[in-house]
Amino acid sequence: MNSEKILQYIRQHCNADDWALYISYWDSHETRFAQNGITQHIAGPKLDITLNVSYGTKSGSATVNQDDENTLAFMLKTAQDIAAHAPEDPEFMPSAEKADLPEVNNCDPETKNLEPIQMVDIVQKAIDKAKAFGASVSGMTEKHYHNSWMFTKNGFAGNSERTNFGHSMTIKKAEVETKVDYEAKNFGGFDLDRDFAQLQAQAEALADLHVFEPQKIAVIMRPSALLELMWFMGWMMNRRQSDEGFTPFTDQLGKPFFGDKFSWFSTLKQPGLLARPYDYEGIPSKEIAWVENGMIKNMPTNRYWAKKVNGTPCSSYNIFIPGGNASEEEMMQMVPRGLILNRLWYIRTVDAKSGELTGMTRDGVLYFENGKVKHAVNNLRFNEIPHDATRRILALGASRLASASSMLPTMLIDNFNFVDKTSF
Amino acid sequence: MKYLDLAMNAANSLGAEYADIRIQKTTDQVTYLQNLSLKHTNTEVLYGYGIRVFKDGAWGFAHSNVFSDEAVLATVQKAFEIAQLSASVNKNKKLRLAPERSYIATVKTPIQIDPFEVPLNEKIDLMMEVNRTIMAYEGIRQAVFYLILHKDEKLFGSTLGTRLDLTSLFIDPMIIATAVHEGDSQSRTFDEGGRAIGWEWILELDLIDKAKQIAQEALIKVKADTLGPEERRSLILDPNHLGLTMHESVGHPTELDRVLGWEADYAGISFATPEKLKNYRYGSEIINFVGDNTLPQGLATHGFDDDGVPGQKWHIIKDGILNEYGSTRDTAMEIGLGYSRGCNRATYYFDQPINRIPNLYLLPGTKPLTPGELIADTEDGVYIQGRGSFSIDQHRVNFQFGGDFFWEIKNGKLHRPLKKVLYKSCNPEFWNSCDAICDERFWRPFGVVNCGKGQPPQSARMTHGSAPARFRNIRVGGSQ
Repeated sequence: MNSEKILQYIRQHCNADDWALYISYWDSHETRFAQNGITQHIAGPKLDITLNVSYGTKSGSATVNQDDENTLAFMLKTAQDIAAHAPEDPEFMPSAEKADLPEVNNCDPETKNLEPIQMVDIVQKAIDKAKAFGASVSGMTEKHYHNSWMFTKNGFAGNSERTNFGHSMTIKKAEVETKVDYEAKNFGGFDLDRDFAQLQAQAEALADLHVFEPQKIAVIMRPSALLELMWFMGWMMNRRQSDEGFTPFTDQLGKPFFGDKFSWFSTLKQPGLLARPYDYEGIPSKEIAWVENGMIKNMPTNRYWAKKVNGTPCSSYNIFIPGGNASEEEMMQMVPRGLILNRLWYIRTVDAKSGELTGMTRDGVLYFENGKVKHAVNNLRFNEIPHDATRRILALGASRLASASSMLPTMLIDNFNFVDKTSF
Repeated sequence: MKYLDLAMNAANSLGAEYADIRIQKTTDQVTYLQNLSLKHTNTEVLYGYGIRVFKDGAWGFAHSNVFSDEAVLATVQKAFEIAQLSASVNKNKKLRLAPERSYIATVKTPIQIDPFEVPLNEKIDLMMEVNRTIMAYEGIRQAVFYLILHKDEKLFGSTLGTRLDLTSLFIDPMIIATAVHEGDSQSRTFDEGGRAIGWEWILELDLIDKAKQIAQEALIKVKADTLGPEERRSLILDPNHLGLTMHESVGHPTELDRVLGWEADYAGISFATPEKLKNYRYGSEIINFVGDNTLPQGLATHGFDDDGVPGQKWHIIKDGILNEYGSTRDTAMEIGLGYSRGCNRATYYFDQPINRIPNLYLLPGTKPLTPGELIADTEDGVYIQGRGSFSIDQHRVNFQFGGDFFWEIKNGKLHRPLKKVLYKSCNPEFWNSCDAICDERFWRPFGVVNCGKGQPPQSARMTHGSAPARFRNIRVGGSQ
């Protein structure tokens, strides 16, 4: 695949008033294991080429996955034909112009060059450890190399290269199930012994399960659990949707709407955190505060809406939530009783306007009282409004990597609203 | 067919116990109209092949988008090497494949009007008219029309000698009207979830009439009352709503790979474990769920699955008792089934197929019963139409569902519209609480085109169906 050759073809043959070209190349290796054996094992490259074209304010686009001239000609003709038949778009925006893009370092050569035999060796060792622990393990070991380009007729030229390594493990021993995962741009930070030790500790802590009724109670939400909640809240925090009255954030820009212990950024300054240099519209990534000490400072805004409301276009490219210095032990001392949550599951919007979400706990819930963990409890369902929950933050732990593109703290949140329980 | 033979001969020469090649071209035309602004009109064609090799009780899967003898042979070699690596781990946990015969067949989704041949401006004109109709209502703030046309063309060959030429297609129109009133915002959606049929379906649907209906109902909904505290009530659920309920609480728990724990790390496992087969009361005696990959216009009706197993029809729940799972050639053998039900499907050429929900539907009631009679027979309850919020635990036991439109039922009548209604229940309580199902005149299919599962994630499609049904003594209440 030659991105320059594809670009030259479009430059020479596209007769549209404007165009934007996107090229994405992936090379992946994915080994999936379950119940101590490999069930799926996938390797291969992928290519994606998309061309957006416009005549005046009429637009169309086409995507193909091969770069020979016949396929590129098909893509070009298809996009141009669509645009020719499209109506005038009252919200049309011309393609991005040349922009200064931040320097990012998202590509790790060691991760890019990981061999399949190394990945299978990790799986084998994880299975051996599970067997030694008298358990079964299921998970996925994966590595990805991604290289993408964006070019426009108006002079934008961007390239983004990144790697990603992931290894997840869900262990099952008797009735106990729990999970640990690692996902980062570099393989070098991965330590199977460390992760399995954590998994084993989690499993041992969950052995003594008691029935627990749903109620409002303080929770220590670990980063993997918090991340699930943040994805959904971030999705709702859209400037246009809010301005038009569809989200809880309508008329709240510039106001203290979250709890004052809560801040939320996208940042290029955390070296471990994946940060793409630009988004699909060609908006360069820059330091941005979405929420600072509870105040909504910015909301993701596309170029059209930014122009309409005299705002600045911006988009979220990673999640950084600054933490504090409270340990879980200290958090347990701050409230009389509560629950420790490892992870959340199947979160869905209950009501978009109020921001209410529902979901379940997963992979282990611990009950604590008088500063000490007493026992594990069954999984629970919550119906909760996350921005409201940030007003009940009592303490923050240190931020740590929860995925390649997110860094979050453990949070102590009071009166988290559990409404139902399950049988395990 | 040249590459099918080349690949399978190469796999045999390398010593594969079994291998298959799936050459797949997927064409998607997606059009997204927000108010009167065309936000997205894209035609995507993804073309390539995936090769599976089974060796020493393990799979290897490699894919490529390069069509040449050299590339095909290199991809077979890669799949073989990966299978060997997998086998080195599976020494004491070898997979086996259920026996299957060879087939030579050509299957195409029957259509009258090819939706890809309908001029784009005709489609866009219709979509603009629909959105204009919605936006004409005072109080409506947003109209969205999302249209997907999807076609898969597959050539499948296996070392069993199977050679298949399969073309499947579906259309999925979705329209959303959103109203804003006194600080609240509520939407009403027209969403049949897709159907394997030609453009003639769109012409039959009368989408302008549907647009008027959802705009009016969005305005009713945004001004409607909420239900108040949770209480035990009767529920009457329409087929569209039940489609998603059965998908989550019956379809996924009866996928055999989940039952075996193969999805433990991601999508979850199942409470419906093998010792419950033929004896577990999943639902009341009127509950009969059928898996049916031969269903006309069904989204999982492809003729054959990606194991080369033909579409079949079987009872998953019979007279309320857990009867059988949806299975694949490798999962079936894990419980000694000896045959696959043909549920192995991949999304794109670069995806390894996995155990998916078949077309799955609830058989209608056997006694004459209309929805009107069902409501008239209900003293205190809620009638739910359409799909809303849905969430279920990873064992598929505890769940909470919302809906898209709600009516309170009082003394056998639709009393008042409601918004923000939720119900909570669990397996097997929910399906055992079903005491009435309307008859076959009111049975309707509804599709799911975005069933997410697997690592790496894949999105599958299938059709569900039912007649309106009543559930007694369910916890129903308003959201916060």
